[in-house]
Amino acid sequence: MIELNNAGKKYPVASSQDFWALKDVFLDIKSGEATGIIGRNGAGKTTLLNLIAGVLSPSEGGVSVKGKALGLFNLGIGFQDELTGRQNIFLNGTILGASRNEIENKFEAIAEFSELGDFIDMPLGSYSQGMRLRLGFSVIANLDFDILVIDEVLAVGDILFQSKCFERLMDFKRAGKTLVVTNQSVDLIERICDKAVLLEHGRAVFYGNVREAADKYRELLNKERFYAGPPKNRAVPLVENTKKWADDISSWGMKLGSKEAVIDSVVFIDKFGFRRDGIKSGDPLRIRVNFTAKNDIKEPHFGVAIFRKDGVYCYGPNTEFDGYHIKEIKPGRKTLELTYRRVLLAPGEYRFSVAIWDKKEALAFDYHDGYYELAVGGVNGTGELLRMPFKIKDRFGGIKRCRPDLGSLRDRWGKKTESDGIRIGPVKLSGKDGEEKNIFLTNEPAELSVSFKELKARKKDTYLWAGIYREDGVYCQGMTADIGGGDKIRIFFPEFRLLPGGYRISVGLWDDFSKRFLMSHHGVYDFKMAWNRLDHGTVYMDHKWKTEV
Amino acid sequence: MSRWADLIYELAKKNLRTRYSSLPSAIFWMFLFPFLTVGIFYAVFSVVLKVRIDETPFVLYLMTSVFTWQFFHDSVMASVTSLVDNKNLLRESNFPHYLVPISIIFTNMIIFLPSLAVTIFVSAFMLKGLPAAVIFLPFVFAIHLGMVTGLSVIFSILYVKWRDIKHILEACLTILFYLTPTFYSVYLIKKSFSPVLYDFYINNPFVGMLSLYRSVLLKGFYHAIKDEAGFSALLLAPFIFSAAVFFAGIYYYGKNRKVINDYLSY
Repeated sequence: MIELNNAGKKYPVASSQDFWALKDVFLDIKSGEATGIIGRNGAGKTTLLNLIAGVLSPSEGGVSVKGKALGLFNLGIGFQDELTGRQNIFLNGTILGASRNEIENKFEAIAEFSELGDFIDMPLGSYSQGMRLRLGFSVIANLDFDILVIDEVLAVGDILFQSKCFERLMDFKRAGKTLVVTNQSVDLIERICDKAVLLEHGRAVFYGNVREAADKYRELLNKERFYAGPPKNRAVPLVENTKKWADDISSWGMKLGSKEAVIDSVVFIDKFGFRRDGIKSGDPLRIRVNFTAKNDIKEPHFGVAIFRKDGVYCYGPNTEFDGYHIKEIKPGRKTLELTYRRVLLAPGEYRFSVAIWDKKEALAFDYHDGYYELAVGGVNGTGELLRMPFKIKDRFGGIKRCRPDLGSLRDRWGKKTESDGIRIGPVKLSGKDGEEKNIFLTNEPAELSVSFKELKARKKDTYLWAGIYREDGVYCQGMTADIGGGDKIRIFFPEFRLLPGGYRISVGLWDDFSKRFLMSHHGVYDFKMAWNRLDHGTVYMDHKWKTEV
Repeated sequence: MSRWADLIYELAKKNLRTRYSSLPSAIFWMFLFPFLTVGIFYAVFSVVLKVRIDETPFVLYLMTSVFTWQFFHDSVMASVTSLVDNKNLLRESNFPHYLVPISIIFTNMIIFLPSLAVTIFVSAFMLKGLPAAVIFLPFVFAIHLGMVTGLSVIFSILYVKWRDIKHILEACLTILFYLTPTFYSVYLIKKSFSPVLYDFYINNPFVGMLSLYRSVLLKGFYHAIKDEAGFSALLLAPFIFSAAVFFAGIYYYGKNRKVINDYLSY
């Protein structure tokens, strides 16, 4: 079906300096076989695919391909922003070699597979990246071909899309189509393919069983790493940002995945060991995940993510980030427990996603997206997200919470309103040794000090308010303190739990009697958080994993 | 074969849809330009400079030259860069490259053919009838199309390797425009050129092409010029040139088919 006979490709074509991107390659891929092409960057994978797809011609040797080959180097080739989804389907389809007639017949199937609904008649310019990919793959998924050549395309898009792509590829394979695939994830290739070619510097160093090829490839990589020296010599760059929002809250409540392991139930347990669907802010929380492994699963990892109901990502630890490696899970019913020492979330409603991933987080065995609900009890009139513990130094009591909704003040960022009553002086952030700075590591102590001057007699029911906002305007936490006597208020966080990213500080003087700010500096001060480890969300919450596997 | 026709159709539709906001505006703007050019030329040469043509009414003289020239010029100039412009498309699919310039010629035909129809109507009205040779219009158009296609394909491939070709071509086409009797009569040339030079001039296939169009569209035109332009100049030169260029295009594409994508990859 596909035969490469001593095929080679030379770059650049017109120069005397020869660089062989591919040399002396012999392949014999039979009809219905799925073949993976593995190798490092620059090993010639894409060149080989180009030869098979007929996009490039060999500089020497022969390439013979029998049947209609479809090359997939990008999803949505020829897509135009100005055209609607429908018009793009026809353009893209004819470029991929289908006739208008064929596309017309399959249009319903394509539109349905894309799940775009009414968007199909909107210009492509209004689509999100995910929607474009969905549309692009929908065309491929419904076209007629004998051979499909796929270059890395499956490594894009959200998990929903990836698992859908994967399912469709398996359908193709079952339908007896010939597949030729490259992917950075060797695991994915092992999963899809029967045979594989291992390329190294443009030469096929191995062609045969996929497992053997994958092993040889790993050996090759590790050898290289060994000679490159131990990784600890390299400076570890600090993580400067994290994922701050849910991917798509409209997909909450869905269960996805290949179902090789299935999550049976997820239970929330309070400090007394009772099952609950609500807890109090600051309490411990235990999350028990009961699941069943259907097959032998190698190197899985687990993730539990918490979102506020509007999609704000609160925290999402997983076993991989925490360095908690699970070698293997044997078939059977199992449980996993995640315990938080203190839930630092402000009162409100929260959603949990629970997932069992494969090693690379490329494929979910089971993924319950925003499936579980938990209420954190209490009053939250201000729209804040967090309740990190803090102390007001040099003050007694007087810690009240502001009443106004402070969650959506972003449009006032950078604005200062003044009053003649009181002047707020410098606002400073400092570390544990009192040294002023504006970049903090997650979990190190931090102190926020606000100086002010009372020009007139202090009014009753007047408080100093300081609010921490995420750079995207999400109100994280507010602190209020009685200003009585003195000219400085220091707010001390023994452990500043914010995760990497940019943050802003607002300060204001709140008159609780007339319910308004006498003066405010909104979002005028900023600082950054960084950390040496990767995590998702806004706040770090101390936790522990426990598994019986 | 039919799926290639579908692809040309879809690419042409894409060209129109991405260039114009809606169908009515597309029709308006596409037709505005050729007719505007005729209007300006008429105002400048006939009203201001008082140029006189004996063969035929000046408006018809201009319409035939401007429409045919614009079809040729727009198609070739848009085709030159077309392979490079569409390299993302070509590098990832395996349809024949020449479909891209052909789709551009097809797009330009959408303007040209109706303009030609308008010319026929105006000619029939102003000259009170059409020459019998009008039935040969499809053949004349085929000769023209052969030239356009051949040159478009050849230059689009040349441009892939050699980017300067676009500017050279632009200059050549400007010279060529004034070398064809667009707004002046061939009599003038015959009067002012030496006989040898005139032979060169009249056997220029583009001059022949234009005279051929006029002969089949305008009543009485052939009789007016048959002494100045013989059979060889009128028919043989354009036909041979068209066939030569067309087959050269096929040959040149066949020779370069395998390396175009290599050049596009850098």
